[in-house]
Amino acid sequence: MLVEIKNVSKAYETNGNRIQALENINFSVEDNDFICIVGPSGCGKSTLLRIIVGLEKPTSGEVLFKGEVIAPDNPKVSMVFQNFALFPWLTVKENIELALAPMIAGEKEKDKIACKYVRAVGLDGFERVYPRELSGGMKQRVGFARALAVEPVLLCMDEPFSSLDALTSQNLKDELLMLWADKNMPPDAVIMVTHNVEEAVYMANRIIILSPRPGKIVADLKIELDRPRNRKDPEFYRWVDKVYSLIV
Amino acid sequence: MNFPKATISEITGLLEAVNDSGGIEDAARLAADFDLELDEILPSIDGAELLGFAVVKDGNIELTKNGQELLEAGIRERKNIIRDKVAGVELIKELRKKLLESGERRMKKEEALKFIQKSISTTDIDSYFRIIINWTRHAGLIGYNSDAEEICLMAEK
Repeated sequence: MLVEIKNVSKAYETNGNRIQALENINFSVEDNDFICIVGPSGCGKSTLLRIIVGLEKPTSGEVLFKGEVIAPDNPKVSMVFQNFALFPWLTVKENIELALAPMIAGEKEKDKIACKYVRAVGLDGFERVYPRELSGGMKQRVGFARALAVEPVLLCMDEPFSSLDALTSQNLKDELLMLWADKNMPPDAVIMVTHNVEEAVYMANRIIILSPRPGKIVADLKIELDRPRNRKDPEFYRWVDKVYSLIV
Repeated sequence: MNFPKATISEITGLLEAVNDSGGIEDAARLAADFDLELDEILPSIDGAELLGFAVVKDGNIELTKNGQELLEAGIRERKNIIRDKVAGVELIKELRKKLLESGERRMKKEEALKFIQKSISTTDIDSYFRIIINWTRHAGLIGYNSDAEEICLMAEK
């Protein structure tokens, strides 16, 4: 078991009002899980992801990473953001190397690892380019390379395709699945938050559906569809319908 | 001449969707699948055709053998296939030739814009420049240094 989410609840206080965002979330993440968390907007799915990576603390409950309480600086967990979160004053390669800085001291070693992941995501040729010159698709490839370069056990992604145009998003989903299928590449498990049901059925082997606020788990489905998946396949659509029917 | 205003990622995404439909799909239906208008996917269709990955017939987009090969390839090999195809695009061929002729293998952006404008008549030459650089960087053929504002031939691997 990689990660255990145990009785996690989260509430916010505003002007004396208490808003319950998440209620008693329990699940565990195993090796080879590609989990998509879906649910109506405002159900707390992004909050849950931030709690899982340790960026936010639950009001009650805990998240254990290999049996230990998760720490926000855990190098074995990395994150891909919706809006890329690149440093504009750093080049593609420098953005990736910066993520490596806390764990790797040698410049040569950093260079070697950064180059490996630049190539893995097809960014070679763009090493010395600044983010402002990149299309959205290229920016998110940097996001993937940076997250993979730390060789994480768990990769967390918060709506990684929703800032991209439809065609680019299609292309990046397929490339991410190619990386996922490559056994020589990290991570061991993925948790991705998305509002897009088709996307979840396309990517995941497990879908966790949250209820409207306060977010509770209403279903934890194993998606039994062979890969590569085909969005035109009637079987694919049966799964999409099934997930929709469970979302309130 | 017109140059398709679509990035390599968009073109590849389009081809992947055609592949899901069995290698041939009606252009309007494809646009609808993406929740887009037909004119929004036209540049990607033109790009796919220019690079030889698809052909358009009677409103249908059909993958070519090269298109199939691209989709079956991994990320690394895809780059090589795209490199070969981008290298064959006339405007890019000419631009590389011009760069080769200049002793330093580099050229000011301004000069490159003028050169591109000879082939593409537009008032929005800068966005075409960005697309061309997107293609040539992807292909590892021509790079652009935004600090020095110049393009240069990329080293052969």
